[in-house]
Amino acid sequence: MSGAVAQRGGRVARVPGSGLIVALLAVVAWEVVARLTAQSFFIAAPSAILAHMVDHAGLLWRAFAVTLWAAVRGFVWGNLAGVLMALLVVLVPRAERLVSTLALLVFCLPLVATGPILRVLYGPGEGPQVTLAALAVYYTTFLPVLVGLRAAPQGWFDLVRSYGRGRLVALREVRLPAALPYLVAGLQIAAPAAFLGAMVGEFTGAERGLGVLTVRALRALDLPATWSIAVIASAVSVLAFAAVGWAGRRLDLAPPQVLLAAPLETRQSRWRGPGEALLALVVTLVLWKGAMELFALPRFFAKRPEDVWAYMVSGPGAEAHRAKLLGAMAETLAFTAPGYLAGLALGAGLAVALTLAPRAAALTMPVAIALRSIPIVATAPLIVWALGREAAGTIAVVAVMIFFPTLVACLHGLARTPRAVLDLFEVYAAGRWRRMLGAQLPAMLPAFFASARMAIPAAILAVTTAEWLATGRGVGALMATVASTSDYGMLWSAIALIGLVAVCVHGLVAALERWVLARTNAEQLAR
Amino acid sequence: MPDAQRPDIRLTGVSKSFGGPAGEIPAVAPLDLRLAGGSMTALVGPSGCGKSTLLRLIAGLERPSTGEIRIGEETPDDLRKRAALSVAFQDAALLPWRTVAGNVALGRSLARRPRDAGAVSELIELVGLSGFEGRRPAELSGGMRQRAAIARAMASAPELLLLDEPFGALDELTRDRLNAELPALWEAHGATSVLVTHSVAEAVRLADRILVLSPRPARIAADIAVDLPRPRDGVVLASEAFRETCGQVSAALRDGQPPGRLAAQ
Repeated sequence: MSGAVAQRGGRVARVPGSGLIVALLAVVAWEVVARLTAQSFFIAAPSAILAHMVDHAGLLWRAFAVTLWAAVRGFVWGNLAGVLMALLVVLVPRAERLVSTLALLVFCLPLVATGPILRVLYGPGEGPQVTLAALAVYYTTFLPVLVGLRAAPQGWFDLVRSYGRGRLVALREVRLPAALPYLVAGLQIAAPAAFLGAMVGEFTGAERGLGVLTVRALRALDLPATWSIAVIASAVSVLAFAAVGWAGRRLDLAPPQVLLAAPLETRQSRWRGPGEALLALVVTLVLWKGAMELFALPRFFAKRPEDVWAYMVSGPGAEAHRAKLLGAMAETLAFTAPGYLAGLALGAGLAVALTLAPRAAALTMPVAIALRSIPIVATAPLIVWALGREAAGTIAVVAVMIFFPTLVACLHGLARTPRAVLDLFEVYAAGRWRRMLGAQLPAMLPAFFASARMAIPAAILAVTTAEWLATGRGVGALMATVASTSDYGMLWSAIALIGLVAVCVHGLVAALERWVLARTNAEQLAR
Repeated sequence: MPDAQRPDIRLTGVSKSFGGPAGEIPAVAPLDLRLAGGSMTALVGPSGCGKSTLLRLIAGLERPSTGEIRIGEETPDDLRKRAALSVAFQDAALLPWRTVAGNVALGRSLARRPRDAGAVSELIELVGLSGFEGRRPAELSGGMRQRAAIARAMASAPELLLLDEPFGALDELTRDRLNAELPALWEAHGATSVLVTHSVAEAVRLADRILVLSPRPARIAADIAVDLPRPRDGVVLASEAFRETCGQVSAALRDGQPPGRLAAQ
């Protein structure tokens, strides 16, 4: 059994109280920097933030309660959906590609575009916030739970079968308990994401909530207010992340199984991949059109696939529409791609550097885990204010959004290098670099690629939100404009194009992942 | 029902091959075999010779490529459906989130038998894990895990007990003790048992009949009856007859090898 050897080496020693001292020093430095840069107008001093919070305590508290309640409901529904989808894929394995592609597609829909549409659908009220919170979490729960439901060695299923029991008993006795630690990990990521989703939902015309206050503060260039909300959102996220982690540890779960055996090779038709992609496309179009017809949504704002086709390709003015959308998209991609790559490279690079210097890792890991849970998007306006509306600001928002999850995932991956392999390198007194290249980097690759795939929707969310809230450029700003002028043809076209680009990039990264892992970590390709 | 006569296991023309990217690989050559009900048969052979595959075929965990297997009138699937067989797996296959007691109790609940904490703790005591009931598998040594797996396999009081190298990770002392104590348990309710093992001495000590298998694909290289008296206590183990049988099995193992190949044992 490999469970005993796994999950060692990841713990870091902590000096008691050092975290508190570091935090205090950080606050002091923050205050000093803010006072020094008071003219440049983008850093609010902690004292100013505190004063704002005290002065507006009642308002902030009421807004916070509204947003939190929407986030909690979205959290429940989104995770329920994620778990049910994972169960569906495990019980009906043939549905996997289809369900996974649809799940990814929906997850990639930019919240800033779905927000206004949901607003029209639901009318006033909290429907859009709750829906967006659910949309922000289901995918990050679906993926790990699916992995967890499958993370069981064949022997456990043989055991169930040897008593003549079927798939349901295997589900109850083996798959569900095996998936529990993975569910906790998913819920941990979901908790801050739900809060973020609810806030973004409030950006698009809600009456109350922290998102409404954010938009108001941004319009008024109210620095302390913007920072106060960012601080509150960050604190909630860190607390939610920690609370779920604490609850998970209370459950005293068995550590997840590390599967070291290579999967059985299955012969696949070379047409299977393209065939499944085509099927996913057809199903998407059918669902898109079917849902709109079923609920008899007015054609004015609920554009069907053929309306988008007409708008972009065959209808009057299609060429102008196309030029406008593709131009905006090109601008967005030109900022997203460098940010995406920089975020991944910095995250993985720092993970490697920290592993080579374990003392630094002991101090950095808790900070990184805390920062990972901060809704970067809520701080996006601040970053853009700091770095400007040109390329640097947007690239930085995307990079920062991707950086922390990649860092944490890569550190976990590095820590999962099997003990026995490390011992082998130790026996030959191999140096740190040799060990890194020969043993630890290959162990990190699966985690790296997983975060590269997960970073695609995150990058889209970051770039569209930054463009929409702050820079006023690219496809995010275009969607904001057309949503407010009710140019729904353009809005739906933008959504469709973003979805298409996201799925294509995801396919590209997944292909690269398969190509690399087939050479380094064949056992990880078990799907 | 200690004295009930168990039905024989009959294999007719049973073979198994696995499909791989490089074509079909035969694991078990066509076999015709009859294992007497209520007896213990040991399968001995070099590593990777297909003896575990043969065990899995009898358990119904693999389908034979050709031929059929019957236990009395029933197929292995029928037997599994009424939870009348159990397997002690080579890698123990303990569920890591259950305690030792929980894993042993799982053997009863998977077999749809009522909870019986007393029976569970008796079995745990028998395999020498008293005091470890509340531990998780990750806290146990390899040998302790295998003992827990054996206790779980016995927990459903099976009619057919399949043991896949159950003592492989045990130290010599524990192995000796379990070899001495466990047979009484499965003899008590007359289970038919099949044991896969690497150890010639263990096979001779436990089995009524030893099948020596040739390297892959598995063929029967020798069929040796063990007529030593039971219980096989120290006197029997020290006897000339015991050593003679061991020599016979070892010789058959060597003869079953193609020249120039190392025997696993």
